[in-house]
Amino acid sequence: MYDEAIQRILKRQKNFPPIKFESKYLTDLVNNFRSDNPKTVILTGTAGDGKTFYCREIWQSLATQDDLWDSSKKIQSLSLGNKQLVVVKDLSELNSIEKIDLLKKVAEAIVNPDTAEVYLLAANDGQLVEAWVEAGNESSVQFVRKKIEDLLYFDQREIAEVHLYLYNLSRLNAAKIFPRILNAIIEHPGWNECSSCPYSNPSDFRLRCPIVENRSRLEGNPIENIFKSRLVDLLELCDLNGMHIPVRQMLLMIANALLGHPEVKDRLMTCEDIPNILDKGKASLASIYRNFFGENLSERRRESTDVFSILGRFGIGNESSNRIDNTLIFGEDDPDLRPYYEKLMLTDSYYGADANYQRLQRAYLEGALPDDEEAFLNLLRDQRQRLFFQIPKDLASEMQLWQLTAFQYAGEFLENIYRALQRSERIKMPLINRLVKGLNRIFTGLLVKNQDKLILATSGSYSQARISRVFEEFISVTKNRGESVSIDLDANTGNPILVVSLSNNVAKISMTLNLTRYEYIMRVAEGALPNSFSRECYEDILAFKTRILRQLFVRRRSEQEEESSENCIVLRLINELDSDGMVHNPHVLEINI
Amino acid sequence: MLNILPRPAKIESDIWVDEAIWGHRLYDEQTPWLTILEFLGIVQSETLANRAFIEEKVNDLRYTTYSRLYLRNILFNNPSLEAILVEFSDDETRWKVWIEQMNQDSGGLSNSDFSYLKSRFASFKDFVAIIKFLQGSAIEGDSNKRWSSKFVFPYGPNCLYEDLRIKDTSASNDRRFFGRTGELLYLMLSRSSKGPEILFYLQKLGLIVDTKSQIKRSKWDYLVATLQPQSDIDKTKPSGSPPYLPLENLPEYDAMANDWLGVLQCDMPDYDCLPHLVTIVGVHLIIYLLNRAKEVLEQPPQPNFILEIVSPKKTVIRDLAASSFLQNNNLPQQAVEFYIKKSLVDAEWKTCETSSDPIGDAIKFLNIKFGWPNDDHDMEGAGAPNKLVETLCSKAITRHASHLGKFHRTWAREIGLSSSRGSKRIRYVPTDSLLRTLVLCTVPFRMEFQDFLTELYNKYGFIIGDKQAADIIASGGADQEAFAANAYRLEQRLVSIGLLKRLSDACAYVQNPFALEVSQ
Repeated sequence: MYDEAIQRILKRQKNFPPIKFESKYLTDLVNNFRSDNPKTVILTGTAGDGKTFYCREIWQSLATQDDLWDSSKKIQSLSLGNKQLVVVKDLSELNSIEKIDLLKKVAEAIVNPDTAEVYLLAANDGQLVEAWVEAGNESSVQFVRKKIEDLLYFDQREIAEVHLYLYNLSRLNAAKIFPRILNAIIEHPGWNECSSCPYSNPSDFRLRCPIVENRSRLEGNPIENIFKSRLVDLLELCDLNGMHIPVRQMLLMIANALLGHPEVKDRLMTCEDIPNILDKGKASLASIYRNFFGENLSERRRESTDVFSILGRFGIGNESSNRIDNTLIFGEDDPDLRPYYEKLMLTDSYYGADANYQRLQRAYLEGALPDDEEAFLNLLRDQRQRLFFQIPKDLASEMQLWQLTAFQYAGEFLENIYRALQRSERIKMPLINRLVKGLNRIFTGLLVKNQDKLILATSGSYSQARISRVFEEFISVTKNRGESVSIDLDANTGNPILVVSLSNNVAKISMTLNLTRYEYIMRVAEGALPNSFSRECYEDILAFKTRILRQLFVRRRSEQEEESSENCIVLRLINELDSDGMVHNPHVLEINI
Repeated sequence: MLNILPRPAKIESDIWVDEAIWGHRLYDEQTPWLTILEFLGIVQSETLANRAFIEEKVNDLRYTTYSRLYLRNILFNNPSLEAILVEFSDDETRWKVWIEQMNQDSGGLSNSDFSYLKSRFASFKDFVAIIKFLQGSAIEGDSNKRWSSKFVFPYGPNCLYEDLRIKDTSASNDRRFFGRTGELLYLMLSRSSKGPEILFYLQKLGLIVDTKSQIKRSKWDYLVATLQPQSDIDKTKPSGSPPYLPLENLPEYDAMANDWLGVLQCDMPDYDCLPHLVTIVGVHLIIYLLNRAKEVLEQPPQPNFILEIVSPKKTVIRDLAASSFLQNNNLPQQAVEFYIKKSLVDAEWKTCETSSDPIGDAIKFLNIKFGWPNDDHDMEGAGAPNKLVETLCSKAITRHASHLGKFHRTWAREIGLSSSRGSKRIRYVPTDSLLRTLVLCTVPFRMEFQDFLTELYNKYGFIIGDKQAADIIASGGADQEAFAANAYRLEQRLVSIGLLKRLSDACAYVQNPFALEVSQ
């Protein structure tokens, strides 16, 4: 319905070109339908991923002049040479009888390549699964339902035996689409109208329109755009943590970032609001850095909007380090911090240390009234959000940029793990060693420091016990007789995975290394307690250990290595660590039966 | 109406009400773990007698039990072990002092001799390390129970023994913590149709060993055997009077057996399935308790449990879950009252009231029905049959409240079904480990999330999502949104413990991680 509404608006605003950007699968899909033997296509995805948009675009690429796209029709078709293409732009618009009738035909087309019809069907996957369940028990329907479930569950696009492509638009990488959307908006010809506006480029910068200011910040420096690259970082981390942001949400986020202001109607500025805002000196509330997190909206609205709730999990604004807060608060007078204060605060007099900030800062240092104090603390929040996007690259590690987020190791994870893997670089050994140290602490429940071998231990009774003292095996981190611990990219999902190999003859064990797990393991390696820092990650990693142990037993069986015999039991217990916190080859206990 | 089996001729009960409804007996102080231990002891004994899970004659279970007092003294009645290790430097002296001390101080044994241990270990230090290790994995090891009520982890048959009361050199079975709940569990599974299959898996795990079986015993079981003298290993004694389970056939027995098989068929290492078996037994015994109560109360079967998936803020679901807990918690006592009152509608009771010796006849009647009164003390102040019934009612309720009445509350907490966390009232709020067990029992491979919620409702009466709560929502108890949010929280929890795969905002699958690799 969104797509339809947008088309209607476009028709009214004849001179206003639509915001358009390249869509990834479009060419592939059109080519499929142009081929001699087209396959049926099911498009799934979250609301706002662009399913209707794809249907319309595909239709328009294939249509002759007579075939007009009619958004009011639930099912429409056009001829593709010897076949008929049937397009259903939203399965949920059909009533249940229509649905059952349609799916039976779709099942037939998927099973049998010689049918006269080929389908393009869009639905979100929940409705899709539900509709197939309702479609009855005919063998072809059941068969196709199972195949579709498999495709969805294993996240695949095609599968043997069936004449079908399943495109899951939720698998589109937000970080990759975002720059395209951003450019389409920033470079839209509509902005030309601003050039004649007096607020566009006044002599006094304080009278500059915040919308224009926001756009120019977003546009940034063409050589190095830190703002954009940090935004892409955040979106990439969302992708890596399995938090999907649909296209519609990204459009919404950018629009809100440009126009947000908490004190105007609908909390979004229009040109008419500008004089009033500037008059009252409230331009700083339109800060694009706040708006990206939906700070202009009410808390309720912010939490119920997917994109802001997802970005909110980074805690940007609430998280900080002493270094940054000291600069923000004491930087003006502290000779050591002054250079940073100048560079980070004074250079930005529009959204940074403006007159209001400096007044409240002084009041705060001299012992402010409660109201002023609260106002200043709120400003600090705004400034941390701004700094996250503005700290220059060369200062990022010195200022510990990622401490401004809830994920201190996010930068390292993104740059040295994910992007390194994408560039086909080897992961640096010290990183793997730290990961292994964290894993060892979780696996044994002891504060061990071993980092070049993975320690496999059990409690003898419960493989997921908190403390595991029964030593089973050391696994070498560097490649050694088939043993290794490495980080790779998963061929199917493209996400980093931690891979443990026990032997060339035993299946490797892998676990997706998402942002949260990486943060968890690293924090444990630095001293956090495995069980108190994150229950969820703790359970995940213990389950991973269970899977490794299972393969270890497979290896033992295949190699027939069994130390115990009929009249003697051999046991190795980890009873003590040495003074460096290391576990060495544990003492062997032999018991005669 | 279900056919109630005849009660045993000899009654070990002063008022036959709780036992008549639920059997002899469900016992609150026997934790789910201790129930499994009692159960495993029976299965092992019956396996050796070639009749595991076969009930040749109903309610006539007689088996043999082990005492294993050497093992238990070493593990749990051995306070100076580490002191001796530190105090003396040479092994010879350590062994000598320790053996002397044990020979003198051990409980429940006469003329004990611990010297067999020395030759079995390379050093005293190794011995201490092993004892410490076994103590670490013991069941009730950290509790403040008496030492004879602590148990080594059930690695295999050599680890199974019964709860005892020790006084000097004598040991007696006082059923303090082995209160026959394990016996009832054994009878229930025997009366299900899955006994042989369950036995197969228990043997496969090495928990139960048949002398003829070829399956290799676990090295841990060998280890525990090494701590016992040969003379003590096979020493058994008979179990005493048989337990009583009132119904021969119930769908609940098969439901429990199916869930056991669900867990046992998962591909898990070590003894990982045991905690899940323990938990699911708890769920089923609570359902059994409530179902029997509902039947007595002539209510439709299948209790409902409104489960709050823990939320950071107080929600309407929290109140509903607390009320649901309270309502279920009261059912057993209501059943006791109703059971007594219902028996008195009987024509025979009416004749007592009008007979020439009303009190005498009433006593006879009550004695036949309820095995009460037993002595003059019971009849104090009873001038008329009605007074007598009042006394009976109040005594039956007092008796019920002291143990069976606490069963629901204690067991629900033990298995992680209820808690009063963040609130004054106890409510149903499942822990992660319970959720994990439910997934293993319910999802063989993968299952769509909404189907999973439906399945939990059908199997256990658990109400989590809005579809299951339709009646409550229709009656205005809560809005749909509240239950949908509850289901959403469950989804989040399952994701976080690796049991749910979300495909998009509208589609998610619950997955059984231990079936995953087998089926792929």
